[in-house]
Amino acid sequence: MTPLGSAAAIGLQAISRIAQLVAVILVIATFNFVLVRAAPGDPAQVMAGQSGASDPKLLDDLRKEYGLDKPYFVQLVSHLGRVVRLDLGYSYRQRRPVVDLILERLPATLLLTVTAFCLALVIGTALGALAGLAAGSVLDTVFTVLSLVLYATPVFWLGLMLVLVFSVTLGWLPPFGYETINVQLSPIEHALDIMKHMIMPVTSLAAIYLAIYARLMRSSIIEVAQQDFIKTARAKGLSGTRIVVGHMLRNALVPVVTVAGMQAGALVGGAVVIETVFAWPGLGRLTFEALLQRDYPVLLGIFLILSIVVIALNLLTDLVYRLIDPRMTTGAA
Amino acid sequence: MSEALQPSAPVLAVDGLSIALPKGGDRPFAVENVSFEIKPNEVVCLVGESGSGKSMIAHAVLQLLPRGVDVVSGTVTVAGQDPSKLDGRGLRKLRGGNAAMIFQEPLSSLNPLKRVGKQVEEMILAHQRPAPAMAAVRERVQTLLTQVGLPNPELLEKSYPFELSGGQRQRVMIAMAMANRPALLIADEPTTALDVTTQRQILRLIDDLRRERGMGVLLITHDFGVVADVADRVVVLRHGKVVEQGTASDVLRNPQAAYTRELIDAVPKARLADIRATIVRPEPLLEVVGLQKTFRVKRGWLQPPREVLAADGISLTLHEGETLAVVGESGSGKSTLGRMIMRLTEPDAGAIRFGGADLRQPRGEALRQARRQLQIVFQDPFASLDPRQKVGDAIARGPMAYGTSRAEAMAQARKLLVRVGLSETAAGRYPHEFSGGQRQRICIARALALKPRVLIADEAVSALDVSVQAQVLALLAELRREMRLAMIFITHDLRIAAEIADRVIVLQRGQIVEEGTTAEVFTAPRQAYTRDLLDAIPGRDFFDQPGFAADARHIAGIESGIDAV
Repeated sequence: MTPLGSAAAIGLQAISRIAQLVAVILVIATFNFVLVRAAPGDPAQVMAGQSGASDPKLLDDLRKEYGLDKPYFVQLVSHLGRVVRLDLGYSYRQRRPVVDLILERLPATLLLTVTAFCLALVIGTALGALAGLAAGSVLDTVFTVLSLVLYATPVFWLGLMLVLVFSVTLGWLPPFGYETINVQLSPIEHALDIMKHMIMPVTSLAAIYLAIYARLMRSSIIEVAQQDFIKTARAKGLSGTRIVVGHMLRNALVPVVTVAGMQAGALVGGAVVIETVFAWPGLGRLTFEALLQRDYPVLLGIFLILSIVVIALNLLTDLVYRLIDPRMTTGAA
Repeated sequence: MSEALQPSAPVLAVDGLSIALPKGGDRPFAVENVSFEIKPNEVVCLVGESGSGKSMIAHAVLQLLPRGVDVVSGTVTVAGQDPSKLDGRGLRKLRGGNAAMIFQEPLSSLNPLKRVGKQVEEMILAHQRPAPAMAAVRERVQTLLTQVGLPNPELLEKSYPFELSGGQRQRVMIAMAMANRPALLIADEPTTALDVTTQRQILRLIDDLRRERGMGVLLITHDFGVVADVADRVVVLRHGKVVEQGTASDVLRNPQAAYTRELIDAVPKARLADIRATIVRPEPLLEVVGLQKTFRVKRGWLQPPREVLAADGISLTLHEGETLAVVGESGSGKSTLGRMIMRLTEPDAGAIRFGGADLRQPRGEALRQARRQLQIVFQDPFASLDPRQKVGDAIARGPMAYGTSRAEAMAQARKLLVRVGLSETAAGRYPHEFSGGQRQRICIARALALKPRVLIADEAVSALDVSVQAQVLALLAELRREMRLAMIFITHDLRIAAEIADRVIVLQRGQIVEEGTTAEVFTAPRQAYTRDLLDAIPGRDFFDQPGFAADARHIAGIESGIDAV
């Protein structure tokens, strides 16, 4: 194939990939729309109920104002139209653009989830690798039992227990929130304050993932250790450290990356629970509130952003995968 | 601590070596009281069937035995040192330094995620003190890759193992082994996973390197053909004991032990006197015309798929009771051909006619009925049986799917098991309880349970030891006669083709390059490619000697051919 021809082919492939992504996002948006509407009640009912008057006239007016009186299909089409224009609309309740609401909350959630994810990945794989290398030893047994316990612990329960011990009983850590309010702090003190607030939510969120990665890495290391190329490495006269670092770790990481990539999206789901437990001002809380109020635009906006994040994470996983495993680039494996 | 080596001092001396197996194994010792020596510039072949303990010896030399398997008595001396008495550092210096090892499966023996150049580099860096400059190391890698006959080393060193062919991978392994000029090379079945032509090249390469460097080679093999080609001396091993050892020519010409005799006889021999005559019947049973197939291999995210031509206008005919061998190297498209005839892979174009009916048209139930007439036996008897299905069920399921009652099908399965040389009780056992050869017999019984008219054997004996190969081939020959089976025998091994086939087709890159009766193809090959394949047959020079041919036993029943039916 000529260089020009292959460049054109790559261009075509890229275009078809992007078209696929757009199609996926539209399908997700449709699905989200149907899902949100499937919940009983609508914003008008919630608002009218809260104002204490279930006057049919008021309901009709509210529905008309929000465009909820139009047929479902028309509402869906206008929703998709907005998605294409990247317009997330206005919140019914807060009367502010949904984009602003999300952007306001996003940093707190990202801080929480990214920190938890990185910690879980780094500590989990490290512990798993140690356990796998020492398979059958006391250390391995302790790690395995610990990770099983963490794996089986409900996220919210762990959060509550942490609060009970470290805030209520010991008084070491702030029980909730993102920062201490009504105090003047220097930037460094402010950062430390936020970190202090982060410890418990991050720990609760990371625990289960840490357990998953540790277990996965352990079995992966044990499997890799039995591969022929490890025997080759020994026959080459390499030292134990060189065999582990140069030959085992990278091979063992392949399955961990796969699972971590798939779960990165689910982490945000876990964040909803944790943010509620710790009154963390992030997207999770916003979702929870919007759900109670049937604030459709906010819900749909959050779902859409999360879907895009998950798709982006999948692409990222793909790329990381290729970095780790060259066989992926040609589909030979 | 290293003593100066005498020129004639052995590079490897194994003396009274016994290796114990963990309790509960099928025998207490993997290896018992084995002694032999390898001098510089000498190739010693350790020959035996799987399970004879030959690999254990090789692993014991470099202290690479698996956990739970230990040397209980005897000594090993490698280049003047006893590896069992070395500390960690000394042992690492020996491994890959004075003694290097290569393995059977080069793909799994190389780290899949590391460029091959880096893997060779690592071998140099781990051993040379003081650490050489990186530029010097790179240059050395280039030299090594060139020495093992790899084309375009600059490009190749940046490749990953999966991007290379089987032969190239083994060359990389050899380059790696040669990096520190070892006095001893241990090669554990280095060519078993390769096709015949590649096997020939790799054996030659090892032999050339041995001569150039005066290194001692311990070559482990189950194939006396290989022995005849390269060995100076032979150690024959059975159930962990040495049954015979001596110079290669003595052992080959005048084997003392009956077992050695058996192993030598088991080597399929492409000898003209025994080649079968062809009987051509007017109406072919199976007819394939102009079969085309291109595979599109998906590549990266942004790359267009790669196209691989697996069949480029293949035409063939097969008559009742006839055996057609399809021969070619890996990647020549021979397995795809078998699968297309079975309609397991859909061809892009071409016609397949069976008994006059079009075999490409049927769908659904009609296809199911048509398939009954064609059965296939695959290469890997371990992977082609469901590990959780009892053997009797595996055989009976086929006929039951076509309406035979369970009782009847099971009765038939038991009969078939006896017919293929197993016992009736085998029906109630699981596949893992059987050896490779026994499993392949089960696979044959499974295929025959449907009373097919065509049997496709896709490398059906390639995964088996030579001696077991001979037994399975004999079984197939008998069954063919009994059941008037037409057989397509797909193989990369011309010796096998010559033993069993009436006609031979030689495939190269999806095209038939040569076609004819077995006698024609073997005596007067028209194509250079066919001649290359023939030359690559291990041990051919030796077994073709006039004096030897007279001794050789031949698979029973083949000479009588199909006329006897």
